[in-house]
Amino acid sequence: MARANVWVVLAGGGMLSAAALAQEGYPLDGTWRGSFGPDATDRTTVVIVMKWDGERISGMINPGPRSIDFSHAELDPGTWTVRIEAQPAEADGIAIEGTLREIGSYNRFIDGVWRQGGTESSFRLTRE
Amino acid sequence: MTDATRTRQQARAVMEERRVRHTMALRKVAKRRAAATILLAAFALAACDPRPSSSPVGSSEGTSPQEAEVRATPRYDDGLVRFDRVPGEKGYWGQASASSLVETGADVPMNDIGLLDDLADAPRVAPFRPWALALYEHRQSNGLADDPTQFCLPPAGPRHLHAPGGFRIIQDRNFDRVYVMFGGGNRNWRVIFLDGRAPPDPEEVVGTYYGYSSGRWDGDTLVVESSGFNARFWFSNGGLPHTEALHLTERFSRPDHHTLGYEVTIDDPYTYTRPWSAEWTVSWVEGGVIPEQFCEDDR
Repeated sequence: MARANVWVVLAGGGMLSAAALAQEGYPLDGTWRGSFGPDATDRTTVVIVMKWDGERISGMINPGPRSIDFSHAELDPGTWTVRIEAQPAEADGIAIEGTLREIGSYNRFIDGVWRQGGTESSFRLTRE
Repeated sequence: MTDATRTRQQARAVMEERRVRHTMALRKVAKRRAAATILLAAFALAACDPRPSSSPVGSSEGTSPQEAEVRATPRYDDGLVRFDRVPGEKGYWGQASASSLVETGADVPMNDIGLLDDLADAPRVAPFRPWALALYEHRQSNGLADDPTQFCLPPAGPRHLHAPGGFRIIQDRNFDRVYVMFGGGNRNWRVIFLDGRAPPDPEEVVGTYYGYSSGRWDGDTLVVESSGFNARFWFSNGGLPHTEALHLTERFSRPDHHTLGYEVTIDDPYTYTRPWSAEWTVSWVEGGVIPEQFCEDDR
């Protein structure tokens, strides 16, 4: 598990060079790093990469050999609500709903609820 | 006190601080200009000579005082428009007639750093996509507190022509290039290639603050196409957003000695629903040099 996390971190770092170009543009563009879990001690590290192409938001969870592509993502600029859906190959679907906060900051963040397989966790992702 | 009230008060405090800093920067520039003017006047009096002086290229010798004030566009010997000083002259481009980009034809009152008098005017500034309008309104509502130039990042894009220190447009005809050098920021410069080279592949280029600019002449107008920008800066006072898809078409002209005409078309389909244009003029500061100013001075 630890080895997998290292791989995820390295792969995420590789994506960072491209994503770091977008800090003042589309607020979701870039690499987001954080964790989700049921409480403060039981956390799972996660990296998400998002990219706006003018029409839709594409992205993936944990870039690398076991990455999970988004099936849907949207941003409501009226409330800065972010919704992401993704379907892992051999697991329950993931539904993420959170709020983009401190949007003017380089290290803006998203926090909210991470749902998968009937389990509901809190999450927080910070823009790198 | 509620959080919302506290946030509004903080935003007002930030706005006030920025206004004061900007005013002080402008005053510094004005003082230097005034000193330069006094020196020039003293020099002119001391060197008072009843004989007519030799005229610089393009000047209007023999015209009435009123006509002389509107001096002709300076040109090189082959007729090409000069955007900079003629030999023996001092001066640079200073005050712009607008403080921020606003779509041509829209009358949107704002202050000298692009802060709207009325936030309700935001949708009229440009044809924003919804996310871009929300982000622009956010930046406006917090008094432009997140402006990257506060962290000494450059005022790239058309914003460099609003730099408080003014700018010069240096035509390097040996190498077919134009350099735009400006006083605000950190004495940055921008290069425009006129040698016909192809722009880099947008899929391959790594975006930069000033992007890649190539120019051509359309009569007396210098037309510049620019792309390859990063998204780490605000390309206009007031916090207009953009993405790496930004493409600018700029048109520089000099209808007379003291006036620079500037038009820019913004094409960023990720941020705006259609291409849109803005325009303003810039006045020539007679006899001065760009005051040295570094970002650190204003922090």
